Amino acid sequence: MLEVEGLDAFYGDFQALFDIGFTQKSGETLALIGANGAGKSSLLHSICGLTSETGTIRLNGAEIGKLPPKVRAELGVSLSPEGRRMFSSLTVRENLQIGANTGRPGPWSLDRVTELFPILEEFANRPASLLSGGQQQMVAIGRALMANPDLLLLDEVSLGLAPVVAEEVMAALASIRGESQMMTILVEQDVSRAIAASDCFVCLLEGRVVLDGVSEGADLGAIGHAYFGEDDA
Amino acid sequence: MIWIETLINGLLLGGLYALFGLGLSLIFGVMKIANIAHGEMAIGGAFLAIATANFIGLPLVLTVPIILLMAWGFGFALQMAVINRVLGSDPMPPLLMTFGLSIVVQNLLVEMFGADNRSLDIGALGTASIQIGNTSLGVFPLLMFAIALALFGALHWSLHHTRWGRNLRATSDDPEIVGMMGIDRRRVFAMVMGLSAALAALSGMMLAMRGSITPFSGGERLLIAFEVIVIGGLGSIWGSLIGGLVLGIVHVIGLRLDPASGPLYGHLLLLVILLAKPEGLAGKARSR
Repeated sequence: MLEVEGLDAFYGDFQALFDIGFTQKSGETLALIGANGAGKSSLLHSICGLTSETGTIRLNGAEIGKLPPKVRAELGVSLSPEGRRMFSSLTVRENLQIGANTGRPGPWSLDRVTELFPILEEFANRPASLLSGGQQQMVAIGRALMANPDLLLLDEVSLGLAPVVAEEVMAALASIRGESQMMTILVEQDVSRAIAASDCFVCLLEGRVVLDGVSEGADLGAIGHAYFGEDDA
Repeated sequence: MIWIETLINGLLLGGLYALFGLGLSLIFGVMKIANIAHGEMAIGGAFLAIATANFIGLPLVLTVPIILLMAWGFGFALQMAVINRVLGSDPMPPLLMTFGLSIVVQNLLVEMFGADNRSLDIGALGTASIQIGNTSLGVFPLLMFAIALALFGALHWSLHHTRWGRNLRATSDDPEIVGMMGIDRRRVFAMVMGLSAALAALSGMMLAMRGSITPFSGGERLLIAFEVIVIGGLGSIWGSLIGGLVLGIVHVIGLRLDPASGPLYGHLLLLVILLAKPEGLAGKARSR
């Protein structure tokens, strides 16, 4: 269970988020949608503790909003960052192993990750920087899963990937959806893909929540209006 | 025959130079800052060893590990208490901070020990030599060289085969994101500064065993360390070894040809490398 209340987030003097609030139930996938600069990545970063933020963030009842990133990671927050952020001097295997640093028990291991993304087995000893964008994205997701998170944050996993590769990554994510109590927050450019891959959604506009709801049967027209900040006609 | 001996002596001296460079290279590789106090850390370590061995009378086999531990602790504490606070996108504050530290340490050393030449007496080991064919080699230089090689090997192994090394390389690649992998980067930085200080103190002690030092020797050591890592290639530990060996050979050959030249030929080599191969002998051209 993730509860966010009255969350404001800042990068230096710049305020990126205003009074964000939502709740997410265990086992659910939440799609975070919004235009460029709406604050999607900022929200993920503030949940990780990478911005300076005020407000309440509770993970499974524990207040994590004041804790440093390392402690939040140890409590089960895990991020696959935008741009993938591979450790370029580490091999694929080492990148994945780094993810397990927090030492949290759970189903995810090197074997399990390579089962999900078989190509990574083949490239295990290559420097991660030599992989294609799609393969790097798989490493980034795998690295985040290796932490056995309670809350998996996926930032723009299909950005810059060929459509067929993006489908492959989304299919892998769909295959693990709902198999455990792990929560996932998915930031995704493609709104219909995001809605299809989630249980609920939150739409941001200029750092504020403008619409949220259940994904199944969601009104794509209303989401479109919220997305672009048009007044309801 | 004299040239083979000169070449080997240069190589052996290069091992010590490489150690000076290694500590500086580690700091630069992980934190992307230059530690201007590196030379003073070396000389300070050597003077502490001189105080412990000559004044208190502790045997060297005990003195050396004690000083290494103290240097490690000093580096760790310095990073945790001071340098971590000024690290950021601007390289100037840590540069000024370590520059200030170098002046403070140097003046403290003059205050405590005076400006005289001092050395660490290693007794008969200092003059022992072995004969190979017509060539006579000092046992102590050989020992220093072996220690230097062993340290490079051990560091390489731990960087690539331990969790500590993996975390260190990851922190060097992307210090902003490692917190999300459960790594406390300030602690990683402190471990590296401790290691660098211990390596500096070790090379300082070796220098004082090999010859003599004054409280003002630090600047010259820093210059050598800088030349080693620029000649070899920034941010690579093998670059430091290559840079050290090449610089050692050039110094010794230069002195043989022209006894009054001092470190001149080393500086000329640096200039040539900067002009011809600015990424260093072992460095890869980097676009960022």
